[in-house]
Formats: sequence, structure tokens, C-alpha cells
Amino acid sequence: MSEAPHTVKSYEEELKNLNSNIIKMGGFCEEALGKAVQAITMRNSDHAESVIKDDEKIDKFETLIEQQVVNLIALRQPMAIDLRETVTALKISSDLERIGDLAKNISKRTLLLNENLPKNLVDALVRVSSDVQKQLKSILDAYLDRSSSVAMNVWESDEKTDDLTNLCMQEVIKYLKENEKNLDDGTHLLFVTKNIERIGDHTTNVAEQVYYLVTGKYLEGDRPKGTEPIVTGEK
Amino acid sequence: MRKNGVNMIKISAKNVDVFYGKKQALFNINLDIEENQVTALIGPSGCGKSTFLRCLNRMNDVIDICKVQGEIVINDFNINDKGCDVVRLREKIGMVFQKPNPFPKTLYENISYGPTIHGMAQSKQEMDEIVETSLKKAALWEEVKDRLHEPGTGLSGGQQQRLCIARAISVQPEVILMDEPCSALDPIATAQIEELIDELKKEHTIIIVTHSMAQAARVSQRTGFFHLGELIEHGSTDKIFKNPDNIKTQDYITGRFG
Amino acid sequence: MNKNKEKLLAKRYSSEKRFQFLGKSAIFMALLFLAIFIFKIFSTGYTAFQKTWLIVPVNFDAETMYLDANPSKEDLEDADYFEISLQSMFNLDKNANEKQQNELKKMVSYFFEREIKQELINDPSLLGKTKDVYITASDDLDQVFKGNYPRDLPENQRRVTDYQLKIFDQLVEQGKVESKFNLSFFTYPDSREAELAGIASSFMGSIFSILVCLAIAFPVAVLAAIYLEEFAPKNRFTDFIEVNINNLAAVPSIVFGLLGLGILLAVFQLPRSTPLVGGITLSLMTLPTIIIACRASLKAVPPSIREAALAMGASRMQTTMHHTVPLSMPGTLSGTIIGLAQALGETAPLILIGMVAFVNTIPGSPMDPAASLPVQIYIWAESAERGFVEKVSACIMVLLGFLIVMNLFAQIIRHKFEKKWS
Repeated sequence: MSEAPHTVKSYEEELKNLNSNIIKMGGFCEEALGKAVQAITMRNSDHAESVIKDDEKIDKFETLIEQQVVNLIALRQPMAIDLRETVTALKISSDLERIGDLAKNISKRTLLLNENLPKNLVDALVRVSSDVQKQLKSILDAYLDRSSSVAMNVWESDEKTDDLTNLCMQEVIKYLKENEKNLDDGTHLLFVTKNIERIGDHTTNVAEQVYYLVTGKYLEGDRPKGTEPIVTGEK
Repeated sequence: MRKNGVNMIKISAKNVDVFYGKKQALFNINLDIEENQVTALIGPSGCGKSTFLRCLNRMNDVIDICKVQGEIVINDFNINDKGCDVVRLREKIGMVFQKPNPFPKTLYENISYGPTIHGMAQSKQEMDEIVETSLKKAALWEEVKDRLHEPGTGLSGGQQQRLCIARAISVQPEVILMDEPCSALDPIATAQIEELIDELKKEHTIIIVTHSMAQAARVSQRTGFFHLGELIEHGSTDKIFKNPDNIKTQDYITGRFG
Repeated sequence: MNKNKEKLLAKRYSSEKRFQFLGKSAIFMALLFLAIFIFKIFSTGYTAFQKTWLIVPVNFDAETMYLDANPSKEDLEDADYFEISLQSMFNLDKNANEKQQNELKKMVSYFFEREIKQELINDPSLLGKTKDVYITASDDLDQVFKGNYPRDLPENQRRVTDYQLKIFDQLVEQGKVESKFNLSFFTYPDSREAELAGIASSFMGSIFSILVCLAIAFPVAVLAAIYLEEFAPKNRFTDFIEVNINNLAAVPSIVFGLLGLGILLAVFQLPRSTPLVGGITLSLMTLPTIIIACRASLKAVPPSIREAALAMGASRMQTTMHHTVPLSMPGTLSGTIIGLAQALGETAPLILIGMVAFVNTIPGSPMDPAASLPVQIYIWAESAERGFVEKVSACIMVLLGFLIVMNLFAQIIRHKFEKKWS
């Protein structure tokens, strides 16, 4: 945001309110992702259930932000930085909502998993998820601080996430191959991994938005990709 | 000077300074106006945008204490030269004012005045044609064709302003200057004028001064932002309104000024 | 706090009421003065529009007039009417002695002979017959009949003798005295005799003066105003001119009279007492009024109209002549009429250039000597005869009527032709 406040104070407040709602929503997403990961690694089904329950909150935030954005556009006709602020808020909120959904999906699958998972598999999962968690946190900070350089860093580190995802996938495939009984858990774990990776993708989307918000420019070129995944997801 | 590969430069202002007595109103303005484009001049009141507009057809001559320095080149001709004939300049550069100001005469006389004094019609028939085409171009013909000999002041505000536009285009100017043409009009009339501006830019170069940033954003392709007598920033309209370079421009268009 | 507020509010309301009351009473006072003035003028003046006539039997005896039985028109013109006129008056009292006969003669205006002559010329068949003729009564009897003349004064302080009153009362009793509309007030020139005095010469004098004044002042003033307002650069010199035009408007009118006397009469040797000189003098006085009115109405033309014309490529001259001046004309014209109305009521400068002279002919051109209405009022107001008192008021009424018509005309022009610009 620019240094000078708006002449119209209520407009200023509406924009601040929108801003803080994004931050709050991001906080809930961070919490959901954290709990979902803990639910797997620490085998805590309470966490998983609370993630499933709390997703409703995140959905409500999305609706709220959408309404605020529509109101701002209809009533204030924002221009320049304010316009970017408003439009990116809409897009970030939909990315965050997807992150919430994915965390919920992870938690649902966690509840169906066996108690005992191989350690190296869990370690691989922890590596990728903590990476994604770190990125989500730093992009939310970047949003708060209006930092284009941090946003750029997050955007670039998606490469690393993809690599970690592939490693994790390999672990899961190994686990699948070990025993036919592992089929159910393995499939769930594949989806969990994929979901974490997609949370990473959404985080990258948010990074793009933050970059556009701050600079007014689009991050150009293809998003950096890691090694081609061995196991293809839905796409 | 900025080069533009697509559009021809119609008007080029170089180092223009304007003084009202001892007070300097414009500081070293350099601005190129592209042909067949709508250029919007925005800025807070008293920023000099109207003054600049009135330099372009030398309407500032009317004000005794006003002095214009620098070059304003139109068609390779500096209009601030001593040899420039103001009457012919104003034939080429029409103007529409803030308040609709039709002559208190009939509609027909309002339109025919310019062609008459410039001797553009040889016969009554030719004049009738000029009146009709001007009114049609101003999208007013259908509304007034049955009452051409009624006073122009009897029209609604929006119709009056379109009459003034018709009057301006009756002498086929190359450039039309508009000084806040919609500030006295309701939104529907404003929309009609804006649509008209869009049509007119096919044949004329239009420069519009406006207080409504939304209007500048809607009608123009290029925008210049004036502040305290200086041209702070100019460029394509979407750039100015989405991502201006200058913080002053941004503060002004987002409503954070002062 | 609250009480204080209420007190303040009550104070504000009462001060507003007080102000309104004062304003209303001021208007009431103004109207009252006007009403008193008009009442006074009308009550003394309305009788001047009536004239008293004595109906006297006249014997058109051909022999007395030295006429033959069938006289030609010229003969009738040249005949001697004095004797029969005198006889008809003497016949009112057959027993009158010489002094009384003289008094009888003075009961009618000295015009009586001409009135009797006119009667016969109109109808030559009256020759040799006797007919009742309307003869203008003397101004003193006129006043007696109108009740304006006190009868209870001692005889030596009256201009009407007891004998005249006796005969007059007899005539009234016989129904031989009549009051009719006084047409001669409008058609006769001034006269020393109140019963014969009219406003024709001064009315025509006023008209001619005003026409001369208009013909000179209007074009000069309008040109000056247009140049000053539309073309002259705004600098110290034009400011100086502007201030002096305003000063000129404030110069007392008698100074213009002196100017007329000193320059028009003394230097240019123009004929004295004429509407020409009067009109030129008045035009000097009217000039600043018209200039100011014209400039004001030029200023009132919105600048947007000028801008519109200039932006269309009209030159300054075209802008001025095609748009500004036509639009300012209603205001200029009504200002001119009001200026002329002022000039019409002006007395002092006309007195100085000699239009106060006694003129008993009706002027046919601005070069003939004439009076003017306000000067006529002044002349009559100075006269001693009682008969002139009502004439003064009547003349004021005519002048006021004239002024009201002119102002009305100015208003009509202003409202009818003033363009409405949005």
C-alpha cells in the first residue's frame, strides 16, 4: 500500500479489512496444513477431525472475501494499487480455499490409514510437507510485508518442492510394491503426497499474485519445474 | 521525444511554459498527442490541464495577462509563431466547453454559424447537408430533425452538449478539444457523449480534460496527469490506471491525494 | 447551557421579527409618501381637465358685421365679429352701465370673439339668426365654478367682482354654465391666460428634445460601450476613462446646462430656446447612463457565448457583432429608455439654455423655439393666477404618465427580448 492514506477513511478501512481477512484466512490454512501433516506423522486422528471440521471456516472466509471484493469494485471503483489489491485478494482467497480443501482431503485419508507406516516414508512426507508449510508461511508474510523479493523466492522454490514430491512418490511406490496389503494405504498416501504438492502449487499461485500486487508486473516465463514426476497425478 | 511506431503524432508540445502575469501556471510541458486517439488530461483543480488545453487553440489569447512560451507544433507548424492565423487555427481545432453553450439562436443557426463565417457552403442546399451530417455525427439528428428552427437553448443539457459538439465538427476540424464536457450532465447523457467521443476519434484527434478519472479511463487511450502545473506522467491509459510509475499519479487516481 | 441556548434562539427569532417589522414599515412609509404625493397631484389637478363654458345667445346680425346676405368664405373670414360678440355679452344684462359692461366683457376669455367667428364659419346659415354659443369663461369664473375660489373674501381682494358673481349665478340658475372636457389643454400652446393655456408647445418641445437626444446619445454611447467592453485593452488609461464615465453620470445636470450655454449657444451660435440645443445638452447627460447600461448588459452576456464564437474561429469583430451585441440589446435599449426618461424630467439645463422662454406657438421642428414639460411646470408654478395651480398639477400628471409609459416600455423590451441562456 502507498504511504498516504485515502481521503475517504471508510474506503481505507474496507481495504484494510480485506487485507486482514486474507491474513486470517492464510493463518487458518497454515494451521490446517500443519494439523493435517501432524495427523499423519504423529498418528493423531483428533487433529485430522479438527481439520475436517475447520474447513468450513476457511470456506466462509472465501465467501466473505468475495463479497468484500465485489462490494469494493461496485462501490469504490478501485484504481491502480487498490485495484490490484482487490483483484489479488479475490484470487488469493480462492487459492487459499483450495489449500484448505486439500488439507481436509489429506485429513480424511489420514483417518483411513494404518497405524504403522515405514519410517523412511514418513520422513519423506515430512520433508515435502514442511517445505510446503515453510513456503506457505513465507508467502503469507510476504503478502503482509508487500515483499516482491520474498514472493519471487517462494515462486522459485516450487522447483525444490516438486523434487521432494517425486522423492516422496518413489518412497510410496516402493511401499506399494512391498506388499499387496499395502494397496489401500499406498493409494491414499499417493493422493496425500499429490495433495501436498498441489498445496505447493497453490502457494506458488499466491506468490505470483503477491508479486503482481506489489510490482504491477506478471512473473514471466514458465514456472520452474523439478524433474518430471514418475507417477503422474490426475493431470 | 518518445517514438511511437503505430500512431502518427498530431500535436507535439515542446517546453511549454504559461504565465498568468507573474504567476507561472505551466512548467516545461512536453507532450505528444497521437492522431485519431483520445488523450485524457487529468489532475486536481488548478493543475493547469485546462490551461494546457486552451494553449492548443490559443484561447488563452483572450486573457490579456496570459503569456505562452515554447513550441506547440501541429502539422509541422508552430502555432505560437507570430505568423499563425488564429482564425484558421481555430477552424482546424474545434473546442467543446464545460458548460453546454449553444448560441441563443435556432439549432440550424447554431450549426451553420461556423460554415458561414468560414465560407464553407456555396448554397442553401450545401448548408443543409452540412447541418444534417454534423447533427448525425453528433447523434442528435433523430431527436431534433423536426425542430431545427427552434432555439437551441430549449434542448436538455445532454442534447445541448451534443449540439455544441455538432457545432464544433461542422467545420471539420482535425482536432477537437473538450474541456470537461460532461461535468454538467447526468450519467445517461454522459454515456451518450462518451459513446460519441469513441465514434469521433475515427475522424478526429480528441483531447479531453476531465475530473472524472473513471471517465478518463473509459474514453481515452492515452492519459496525461498534471499536478501543480507540471506534467507528472503520461502514457497509455491502462498503464496509468493499473500501474502508474509515479507515486503522485497513483496517489491521485486512487484518491489519496493531499 | 441548554437554557442559554434557548435564550439565544429566542433572541435570534425576535431580532429577525424586529428586522422584518422595520423593513415592512419602511416600505409602508415609502408607499404612504407616494400615495400622498399622487393624491395631492390628482386632487388639485383633475379639475384642469374640465373647462367652464358660458352659453351666451349671439345674434349674428349681418349689418353689424358689415356683411351682405350671401357672403363668400373670405367675407366671413374678414368680417368684424367684435361688435356682435360685445353685444351678446352686454345683452346678458340690458341695464348694465359702462363699468358693468366692461366687467361683463371680462367674464369670458379674450378668445370669445374668435369662438363666435368659428361658430359662424362652421355654419354660415346662422347669419341673421340668434344662436346659443359656448364661450370659454374667464379663468377666475372657471375657478369659481369649480369651487376653488373663495367667495367670502371682501370684494377688493378678489379678482371677480360682486356684479360678475351676480350675473354668473343668474347664468348658473338658467343652466347657461356648463363644464366640459378641456381639449384645449392638450391642443393650445402656452398662454398668459390660464383658461387658454395648454401644453401643446411644451409637449412637442419635449418630444423633439428627446428625439434629438436619442439620435445623438444612443449611437455614440453604444459605440463607446462596445469598444470599451469588447476591444479596449484593460490598462490604466481605460480604467481612467471608466472612472470618468462614472463621474460624468454623477455630474449635476445644471453643469451640462452651463456647458450647453457656454459652448452650443455662445461658440456654435445655435438658436436659443430650441429643442435642438436642449436635446444636445440632454444627450451629454444621457450619454454616461447609456454607456453604463450598455456595458452592464454586455458584461451580462455570459463569457461562454464569446468563447463559443471565438472557438468556432470567429474574429473578435464577428463575435461582438453576431453574438454579444444582439444579446445585449434588450438591456441597452431599456437602459436607454430609462436614461431618456430621466432626460425628459430634466429642468435645470433647459432653463439655462433658454427653453424657459414664453412660447405661444407650437414648434414644428427641433429648430423652433419651444418649452418642455418640466420647464412648463416650472413656468406655471411661478405664475400668480389661481387658474395655473391646477394646470401645474395637470401638467405633472401628463409628465408622470409619459414617464410611466416609457418605463413600462423599457420593462416590456427587457422581458420580451431578453434571451434566456442556460
